[in-house]
Amino acid sequence: MLKRLTLPCLAVLLAAPAVSAKPIAFADGTTAMLEYGGDTMQEAQVFYAPSVRYSLGAGQLRLDAEEGAFTRNISYVRTNVLLKRWNLPRAQGNVFAFSGLGRAQSRQSGSDGGIDTVGQVGVQADYETLRIYTSGKVEWHHAESFTHRISTVQAGFAPYPHRYDGIATWLIAQGRQTTGGVYDGIEGALLLRLFAARRWGSVWVEAGPTTDGKLQAMTMFNF
Amino acid sequence: MLKILTAALLTLATTLAVAGAPQSITMKVDGLVCAFCAQGIEKKLKEFPATDGVFVNLEHGLVAMGLKAGLDVPDATLTSTLTEAGYTVKGISRSEQLLADIAKAHSP
Repeated sequence: MLKRLTLPCLAVLLAAPAVSAKPIAFADGTTAMLEYGGDTMQEAQVFYAPSVRYSLGAGQLRLDAEEGAFTRNISYVRTNVLLKRWNLPRAQGNVFAFSGLGRAQSRQSGSDGGIDTVGQVGVQADYETLRIYTSGKVEWHHAESFTHRISTVQAGFAPYPHRYDGIATWLIAQGRQTTGGVYDGIEGALLLRLFAARRWGSVWVEAGPTTDGKLQAMTMFNF
Repeated sequence: MLKILTAALLTLATTLAVAGAPQSITMKVDGLVCAFCAQGIEKKLKEFPATDGVFVNLEHGLVAMGLKAGLDVPDATLTSTLTEAGYTVKGISRSEQLLADIAKAHSP
C-alpha cells in the first residue's frame, strides 16, 4: 500500500523539476505555467516576483495512476530565492534555492484517502549562453510516509543565437535520478523548447518524448 | 519688429538645443542571454516618462532606449534599474542617433 501511494506522490513531485526554467524571470513579473506529463500528471502554477531576488507562488497538481484508479491532488505554496548570479559578457550563471509546503489528498478506487503534508527544499544552478544551456537541480521531499531526493540535469544547445524579438529554439536533453527505490535507473527525455518575447509578455512552449515513450509538454507565460 | 526678432531667435535657439540633444541612450549589459528574462528590462525602462521605445540586442549585449524631446534619464537611475532587473551595466552612452537607426544597425 505504501508503495502504491508513494509512486503517484513521487510522480507528482517529479512534475516540478521537469520545468527547469529559471524560477524567477524578472522583477515585478508574473509567471503562469501549465504542464502535461504523459498520462500521469497535470499541473498549473503561478509565481509573482516582487524582486529579481525572490518569487512567491502557488500551484495545483493532479496525478493519475494505475489507469485512473489512483488520483492525488496537491495544493502548495512555494518561495524561490536567487542566491547568486554571475553576469558575464555573453553568459549568465545562477544559483537558486527554494522551499515549499503542500497538502496532498489521495483517492483510491473511488475512496478518499488520507491527507499528507509535504515539505520540499531544493537548490538549482544553471549556466547559459546564447547557444549553450546547462542546469542541475537537486530537491528533497519529505512527508510523514516518504522522503526522497530527485536530481535533474539538463544540457542543450541552440541551433542559432536567438534575437530578442525572434523565436528562440533549443534542443534539450534531460536526465533524472530518484532515490527511494521508486524509479530504477535514469529517466531521460529529449525536448524541443521554443520561446519568444512579445510586447504583452513572453511565451514558452516545450515538448518531447521521454525514454518511456510518453509525451512531456509544458507552456509558460511571463507578463 | 523687435518682437518678431525675439521670437525668431528663441525659435532658432530651441531648434539648435533640440538638434544637439541626445535622441537615444545605449547601454552595454552583461548577462543578457535570454529573451524570456530580458523582457523585464524593457518593461522597467518603458515606465520612464522619457522613454520613447526600447531595443534589445542579445548578441551584442546591448540595450537602447529612445528619448522623448527634451527628456532624459540619469545614468545612476538607469544603472539602478538594470541592476535591480538582475543585470550588470558596463557602460552608458548617449547619442543623437534615432532608436530606429540603432535597431537597424544591429539587425541582420
